[in-house]
Amino acid sequence: MPPSPAPSAVVADDERLMRDQIIGRLKEAWPELLIVGEASNGREAVALAQSLEPDIVFLDISMPGMDGIEAARALSGSAHIVFITAHDEYAISAFEHGAVDYLLKPAEPERVALACQRLRERLKQKPDPMNDLLSQLSQRIGAGELKPREYLRWVQASVGANIRMIPTSDILFFRAEDKYTRVQTQRFEALIRKPIKELIDELDPKEFWQIHRATVVRVDAVEQVSRNLRGHQVVHVKGSEERLEVSRTFNHLFKQM
Amino acid sequence: MNSDPRNPGTNAAAESGNRGRDSPRSEFRRTLHEIGDEIAVLWWGFFDWLAVVSWKKLLLVSFLTLVLASLLKHPEPFFLLIVASFIIKAIAGGKRKADLTATEATKRAETEQLERTVLEARMEALQAQIEPHFLFNTLASIDQLIQTDPPRASKMQQSLIRYLRSAMPQMREGSRPTLGQQVNLCSAYLEIMAVRMEERMQSVVNVPEGLKSAVFPSMMLQTLVENAIKHGLEPKTEGGRLEIGAEIVDGQLAVHVLDTGVGFMPKGDGGVGLANVRERLKALYKDRAELIISVPPTGGTCAIITVPYEIAPATA
Repeated sequence: MPPSPAPSAVVADDERLMRDQIIGRLKEAWPELLIVGEASNGREAVALAQSLEPDIVFLDISMPGMDGIEAARALSGSAHIVFITAHDEYAISAFEHGAVDYLLKPAEPERVALACQRLRERLKQKPDPMNDLLSQLSQRIGAGELKPREYLRWVQASVGANIRMIPTSDILFFRAEDKYTRVQTQRFEALIRKPIKELIDELDPKEFWQIHRATVVRVDAVEQVSRNLRGHQVVHVKGSEERLEVSRTFNHLFKQM
Repeated sequence: MNSDPRNPGTNAAAESGNRGRDSPRSEFRRTLHEIGDEIAVLWWGFFDWLAVVSWKKLLLVSFLTLVLASLLKHPEPFFLLIVASFIIKAIAGGKRKADLTATEATKRAETEQLERTVLEARMEALQAQIEPHFLFNTLASIDQLIQTDPPRASKMQQSLIRYLRSAMPQMREGSRPTLGQQVNLCSAYLEIMAVRMEERMQSVVNVPEGLKSAVFPSMMLQTLVENAIKHGLEPKTEGGRLEIGAEIVDGQLAVHVLDTGVGFMPKGDGGVGLANVRERLKALYKDRAELIISVPPTGGTCAIITVPYEIAPATA
């Protein structure tokens, strides 16, 4: 497709005031630039950019639904990208390589003028797909697929008729009971539907240990381990009278040092 | 074991004693010393006991001693001991008792002081967390409004000033924070966010006038409100509603922040601020306060902080 005579752009920011500001400054700095669309979230930005095929997309980094980095990834190679951000929490050094420019809010007119000048140069080439940069960025923001594994910090459980979010640090143990799994804290008990087998994969292994097919205990809540008459290890938990049996498979957890 | 007798100044026994046979003698003296020490310990033990025992108990013990002593041939020393006990208790007992209580109180005060210092340090760190992202975005919005709508820019700037003033050094004045102050701070924040998010955020503050003088820890409500916006409403494309409310439930003050946002994420770091609130509640109130996060049937998130209901002393 031949490039359109006047360069075009889409501006995406979830706050209208911020879009107005960028657009106003762009008009001053680059009167020929056509603003063909405005988007208030990442998804909208991608949809607009795909249908209008602008030369440039200005993307706010933090937007609801799909953030600026994800949107840029979706548009990779099809438009020149300029990121907009309120402050350099995203380590702007990543931008210094020059494939992509960025603007800090509030955008100073001189800075916008400089960005426009660079864009005019860049429009002569095909847009850079920015693969390295984007994966580097998403790693810093923690929004990409390279995100380290995250464990449950809260458990959503029913307490009576209510649904509560219980912090894992409050939980003494989980115990399988019929169709449910019981969540025991010092103050109350709650029920969840997730079976122990699935739950254990989502819990931080440093925080919780499975000690039985039906029992998972929070390590820090363990007070002592004794033996019952049948010779099984039994875990005593702080703040609960209940004794939890350790099955043979998990005996090694409490071996003496 | 044995001290060298020729070593000058070791002890009195060496100087005055017969060098050839002073070994058993110093041993005898040492034993005497030990017995003396034992007696001293016993005496001070007895003294401490005298100091803290109640008069009633002392009378009872004296009476029993008298009964037992009267069975003996020479009960006089016991009479003397009892009389002496009463005199000692009357004269020195009070002081000794005060000493003991003072030592204990000092120890307790030291622990409490330490706890408070740690707590305050943590609170300060917490309060210093005015999010740069919030600050810069707000300043950028004001910058834009100055050009397009100066009266609104001025109003927004005033909200920001109000927010910053109360969010920054709050704890330094000795007075205890009230719910009213905390609600004001949150209103300033919500006014700013309402300008920025426009129709994506509606807020209602539903706190009865009468509860505004209740004591409520600083920056906790703010954490709940910021969380509701940041993790609830901002990530939701169409936005939603936020409500702050307060009521008395079973003699406790219950303050809630309800939002219709995307709902609470059980993973990730969304709970850092909340963990902080929980920790502070525990430090301030032990088991008498709690933070409950629940999922309302309509979706979104509801966070409730419950603390003992206390009216703040009026400040002059």
